[in-house]
Amino acid sequence: MANQSGNAYALALLCPVRAGAPPAGFDGQCQESYAAHLRYVLQSVRVSGDSPMARVPNTYLSRFFLLDDVFYQGSPALEEHLKSSYLVFCCNFHGELEPYLTGMWKTIESEVRLILNHCVGFSDQTVRDAAAFIAYIKKCEIKTTFYFNGSTDQPLAEQLKGLYLKQEFSKFAFENQGRSAREIQEAFGEFIKGTEPENTARPAWKPGVYDLDKVVAK
Amino acid sequence: MTTAADDFLDLSDIQGIVVKAYSRFGFPVARYVLFRIDLPAHGRKFVVGITPMITTGVRWTDPASIPSAATNIAFTYKGLKHLDVLDASLHGFSDEFSMGMKARRDIVGDTGPNHPRHWDPVWHNESETGQHVHILVTIDGKGETEVEARYRQILALLVECPGVVQLSGQRGGGSDDLPYQPAAAIPPKPEEAGFPGGKEHFGYSDGISTTFFKGCGADPMEVIGEDKPVKGDPRTLEGWAPVAAGELIFGYPDEAFEYPEAPGPPLFSRNGTYLVYRKLHENTGSFESYLEAEGARFPGGKEALAAKFAGRWRNGAPLATFPTQESADRYIAELSALQLKVWAGQASPAEQARYQELALQLVALDYGDDKDGARCPFGAHTRRVNPRSALRFGNKKAFADDPGALSNRRRVLRRGLPYGRSETPARDDGDHGIVIMIVNADLSRQFEFVQQQWITFGNDFKLANDQDPLPGNHGTSKNCRAGGRMII
Amino acid sequence: MSNIAGKAYAMNVITPLKWLTTLRTRLIFWGAGKLPSTTLGLVTLSLIHYARWVILRPKDFPHLGPEQPKEDLQYCYMLFFSNFNGSWDQYVDSFSSTIPTGLDSFWYKNIKYTNSIPMLPFHRYITWNQIWTDNYYNAYPMASTNDVKSAQKVRQNLIDFARSTANATPDDFQRQYNKLLLSLQHDLSQMGLNPVVSLSASAVDRRLGKERRGVS
Repeated sequence: MANQSGNAYALALLCPVRAGAPPAGFDGQCQESYAAHLRYVLQSVRVSGDSPMARVPNTYLSRFFLLDDVFYQGSPALEEHLKSSYLVFCCNFHGELEPYLTGMWKTIESEVRLILNHCVGFSDQTVRDAAAFIAYIKKCEIKTTFYFNGSTDQPLAEQLKGLYLKQEFSKFAFENQGRSAREIQEAFGEFIKGTEPENTARPAWKPGVYDLDKVVAK
Repeated sequence: MTTAADDFLDLSDIQGIVVKAYSRFGFPVARYVLFRIDLPAHGRKFVVGITPMITTGVRWTDPASIPSAATNIAFTYKGLKHLDVLDASLHGFSDEFSMGMKARRDIVGDTGPNHPRHWDPVWHNESETGQHVHILVTIDGKGETEVEARYRQILALLVECPGVVQLSGQRGGGSDDLPYQPAAAIPPKPEEAGFPGGKEHFGYSDGISTTFFKGCGADPMEVIGEDKPVKGDPRTLEGWAPVAAGELIFGYPDEAFEYPEAPGPPLFSRNGTYLVYRKLHENTGSFESYLEAEGARFPGGKEALAAKFAGRWRNGAPLATFPTQESADRYIAELSALQLKVWAGQASPAEQARYQELALQLVALDYGDDKDGARCPFGAHTRRVNPRSALRFGNKKAFADDPGALSNRRRVLRRGLPYGRSETPARDDGDHGIVIMIVNADLSRQFEFVQQQWITFGNDFKLANDQDPLPGNHGTSKNCRAGGRMII
Repeated sequence: MSNIAGKAYAMNVITPLKWLTTLRTRLIFWGAGKLPSTTLGLVTLSLIHYARWVILRPKDFPHLGPEQPKEDLQYCYMLFFSNFNGSWDQYVDSFSSTIPTGLDSFWYKNIKYTNSIPMLPFHRYITWNQIWTDNYYNAYPMASTNDVKSAQKVRQNLIDFARSTANATPDDFQRQYNKLLLSLQHDLSQMGLNPVVSLSASAVDRRLGKERRGVS
């Protein structure tokens, strides 16, 4: 199976969503289903630099969506339907699965609960710690048949440091055109001191930020 | 040379402006006139009246068959609605067309100084009646007199149709209220007399390459370097093939072996196409002063810098083939002198052959021998808007040996002329620029894509957010300097 | 809800295929994994961060307990997830023009698959079977995959250069600096926001309060 390409991991989950509606009805009215409420929750999760996924170490890209049913292709194809809705979570990250999931549990447990509590077999009682979380995820994981990595498999911090340096060094090269060797050498010394290319922690780009004025973590 | 299989286009039902670059037929002067339709019946009467004047795509086989002026017509979506075209047909048009270019401004990068609110006044005042430019009539001619005569003939039609109104409000010559947009080719410098293309206001020879498509009726030798690259030597016929007619005209198969989407019934759209009309002001003062300042410290000087921007020297020679100014100048001088002889019918067979060979070099290139952009930068204007084989980045086997896989479906026809005069090129605010008309069968896949991804962005060329140095929208910073950057 | 996170677009496509077909498809994927030339087109296209194909047999749908009804499906399903740069149309069109045979072999004999050329039926096939993403996260929304790969090169070059010129004379420094710039000549463009690739993208930007350069 091809969940991995070098150090890049392709995680895909299908988590069955509970059938029916939550029991806490209001005034006897029909309540929206678990699936509809989950979709609302997913769409309310913050995005870009404020996304909880920005706190999960080594996440390159991730997505959530609800698979309500399969599509009918029209006659003469068979018409068939899913019996559950599934929460689909797809994620590309650096490293091995268990350390990644442990990192996720440590950083965004409450957000994970908010989402997975809509799914069969997941509740505050059944999943109490990281180990139980990992066990749950493994039950929902579907194996990738073919994984195409068109990018790199570096740790995220190295990717973000590289992006920071690319942006800053292109400014440096642009601004120092035509200066004397000594001037460029001095300026470069300052540049290296300020940008610390070997230090992946900082300064670097922050994960998820979509704003040139706010992207640098000093 | 033309085979029966190439004669499938109904040239007598396709407008001349689609098939012919008029400036190549000795039409250096043009007027672009806009109309509004207030009464559908009068609108239809106007269309019937102007129809006999419309120039078709039928080939001009000898100089005597070339008329003194050419007339062509195009409609906006609202214009067609005001002609009472059936809703069923109108609904078949693409969103890009029915919305109009103003509403697509974010997509094509018409923001900042290029925002529609800065366009000529004729495009304003649309809040109450909606889009009020309904008809565009183009008149191209051999001279001012011929164009004026045709213009008068067309205006005479309005006497019978008062429900069609000529719209003033085009900017030029110190006025904001011209009744039409005048345009005229800028003749080449004396030492380049005879060179086939005219100049634009930044001083570049323009209109050098055009798109050769199946059945267009032009000399098959012109296919070389003019459309889609195929396996084979790019300097010969083996390296090129005509682009499918359906990329440019409704009713014919396109490069994906299907008919382009067009409104029904077929008779309504067949032989028609989409035409984009854009008036681009040129900041000649800023451009020249930038070239002077930066050219002073650029190896090769300001002309070399100008060449790196365009991918062609200002005299027209392609940078990928002529990397030095000296080689470019020598080449253009010889080509221009031979061209004059050919026009005068005084070229010997040997000179004819030499002329053919040189003329080919203007366009017979595919960047295959310049894959790192050492000569012509990745971000140069002509390499962006017509990348030929460049998007393979040297990986010959990448796309099943189809060198133009990423560019063949982005081809467009360019029409139009410069407008105004730049006698005072030190200033930005004069009346000078180009009217460019872009013809294609799919506005989104062709015009909008090129404008957005290739002109106002750089990722396809691995240039992150860099834009085209010439028509890119570089915005302006606080001190009104353009914010563009380019790596050469 | 948005399929767009900066320069990346999230595509989800789910299509049915017969069990027997999956055997051949798995073989093709296996071959593609072994032979790098199979994906040379994708690599040269360089529009994809990460993409994957998952073939699900009916029994692969996770079943987590008696409260969940068991699925009763005849078809297998192929799930395709991609993170790509550019607009939907650019991606689908580029796929269809550059690697039609590769594409057709990956979706070979999926029920009612249209082949990638002609393109309009292929567009409709993808649109029909596509699911919109409810929440999409991208760690570097201002970077395309080209930018990420180029950034890795810039960083490595800078580290090596800083080490090798630590004690250089100014002239020697200049020589090596010029060499550095030459080797990085295709890696020094500035990144920023994505252009507005569709009207829905511009609506998303407005909601996020993104100001575009040059917008007056």
